[in-house]
Amino acid sequence: MRRVLRLGLLVVAGYALACGPTDTTTRLTFSGSALGPEGAVIRQQLARFAEHRPGVRVELQVTPDSADQRHQLYVQWLNAHAPAPDVLQLDVIWMSEFAAAGWILPLDAFAPGVDDFLPAALAAARWKGALYAMPWFVDVGLLYWRTDLLDRAPRSLAELREMALRLRETDATRFGLVWPGARYEGLVTVFLEHLAAFGAGILDARGRVIVDDPAAIRALAFMVNALNVDRIVPSSALTWQEEQVRFAFQNGEAGFMRNWPYAWTLLQDESRSRVARRFAVAPFPAGEGGRPAAALGGAQLAINAWSAHPTLAFELVAFLTAPEQMVERGRLAAQLPPRRSLYENPELAAALPIPLDQVRQVLEAAVPRPATPVYSEMSEILQVRIHRALTGQQPPAAALQEAAREMRALLMRAGLSAEGPT
Amino acid sequence: MNHRAVPIERGETRLAWLLVAPAVAVILLVSLVPIAVTAWEALHAHDLRLPWLGRPFIGAGNFMEAASDPRFGAALVHTVAFALISVPLELMLGLALAVMMHSAVRGRAFIRVSALLPWAIPTVVAALLWRFMFEAQTGILAASFQTFGLVGPAFDWFVHPLAAWVPIIAADVWKTTPFVAILLLAGLQTIDPALGEAARIDGASPAREFLTITLPLLAPALVVAAAFRMLDALRLFDLAYVITGGGPGTATEPLSLYAFIALMQRLRFGYGSALSVIVFLLTFAFALVWVRALGRSLSGARS
Repeated sequence: MRRVLRLGLLVVAGYALACGPTDTTTRLTFSGSALGPEGAVIRQQLARFAEHRPGVRVELQVTPDSADQRHQLYVQWLNAHAPAPDVLQLDVIWMSEFAAAGWILPLDAFAPGVDDFLPAALAAARWKGALYAMPWFVDVGLLYWRTDLLDRAPRSLAELREMALRLRETDATRFGLVWPGARYEGLVTVFLEHLAAFGAGILDARGRVIVDDPAAIRALAFMVNALNVDRIVPSSALTWQEEQVRFAFQNGEAGFMRNWPYAWTLLQDESRSRVARRFAVAPFPAGEGGRPAAALGGAQLAINAWSAHPTLAFELVAFLTAPEQMVERGRLAAQLPPRRSLYENPELAAALPIPLDQVRQVLEAAVPRPATPVYSEMSEILQVRIHRALTGQQPPAAALQEAAREMRALLMRAGLSAEGPT
Repeated sequence: MNHRAVPIERGETRLAWLLVAPAVAVILLVSLVPIAVTAWEALHAHDLRLPWLGRPFIGAGNFMEAASDPRFGAALVHTVAFALISVPLELMLGLALAVMMHSAVRGRAFIRVSALLPWAIPTVVAALLWRFMFEAQTGILAASFQTFGLVGPAFDWFVHPLAAWVPIIAADVWKTTPFVAILLLAGLQTIDPALGEAARIDGASPAREFLTITLPLLAPALVVAAAFRMLDALRLFDLAYVITGGGPGTATEPLSLYAFIALMQRLRFGYGSALSVIVFLLTFAFALVWVRALGRSLSGARS
């Protein structure tokens, strides 16, 4: 026993010796997507950041690429007040949760320049008026449409429905429209676009649940009709996520597809895609009393509230969100920057695969998901209820009334009274 | 045993306790302590995502919430219905398979090995296979059902709240019938062939022989097989998780999956723990009742 103890002490001493010299350098850790082109860009940029700062070492802390798993890990770390990682890549829908929990630092003290950022992206980085994260890249829901079958993108929801019906009835395509309808977060983004198209929403500006309003019920009824009455959306779409939706569109089976920017490059690959160079993108069109919409996704950078080096961490955040780094990210990882000025920049136009004029049009229609600390649970309630309505287990009105009741109960339990944030 | 009998044995008893102590300690550590901690957690309101609420003790609050939670009620119904449908199917098919294996004259080893194959395949792999077979457009079974006109051309198994159960139950029956068959085969082999011979000499038909001799003597094995299968079925998780994810809506969501979602996705440790405790109590209660019934039937068979 004593020998084991002595051996242990030796190991510890050796470790301390080995680490001794490096303790004078400041270690900053960054956690985010580290796979494929995204990983290559971030490694390159972290190294460049450290280059001009002697005594600073930046480490990439690898986390799971699946959003749910990364979220779970972050929650466990931050709940335990772990000082690392200093800088975190957050999915836009996590920010309010982390800010409300006090796990990330408000950034206003660092006086970041935010005038250039897209308003929707910036709104998604604020909680109770304070800025808690810097928008890093944006993802937007796109309506892909076939340029070989249609003259132009639909200008209204009614037009989209007519076009899709015509395509399916004339057998030009097997399905009119395809969207991801499986019970997961992607379904909520599709629903969000339908809500905006009908002038409805999930929460109002004061944080009250409005998803059972008549306009919201009309939006869900439109989705149900598209499936069961017009049959422009195949019922199998209720088991599809982005990739299955892309396969259907890529094989020429659909006239319209709701998907994200990542699909663009894959659809242009002529060796696999039957629709290469025969499609364009537009925002999801407006219905009665609504507006064109594109669900906003993407990532932000935030600083761990228990970071030992908040100032240095903010320097890293500012560096990563600077225009040069964003253009490079656009070129290497095809991710859209949240800075408006860059969309006038010919360098970005050359770097991005999607034509800038089409992207700009969609970005103007960007709709953020509700900013609430209980977003994930709220989304899960919606996923279940919407899916029930779409699979005919519940009428749209009843489904949304139930969803609203559950969401109000959730806000009550969380101490976020339904009469607005406390 | 009778350790009070002779003084010399007292020392031996102490030694015996000493020798089993490590095993008891391990069982305490890896089984009883976690169960106790989970039960204690179940009495608190603890949501990892709402740290400002703290972790107050709320007694039976989580259990009350479960009682009034329609999703929990539905999950409970799903779990019990799944067990009551799939287990009898497995017992019947397993019995048929066991009788076939028992009476096979040639190629016994081959038949046994091939019958056991589904049991040897990891559940998640089996679940994926069944999922693929039922997938609309590409699934071989989904396509066959359409060709034979049993379902409409655009029918999607995973979109229909009742049809979505078919792949789950089919996968479970396919995978665990061999297990039941092997248990019952062992039971069949303990039956003295002379009994059957005597019955045949007395002019009993094969059906009569099966019903009055084989089945009663096989009862203990049947009871054990049913117990194993029921305990597994009440904890149904992986098949539902992989094949349907609990959907459409929550139409195929069993209790364990709901507990998992509450714990690992919503990070509601208190409520999730309460749900886990309920799953545990449910299987435990079943096991208790069944072991009593089993004990009675075994002693009944002996006398």
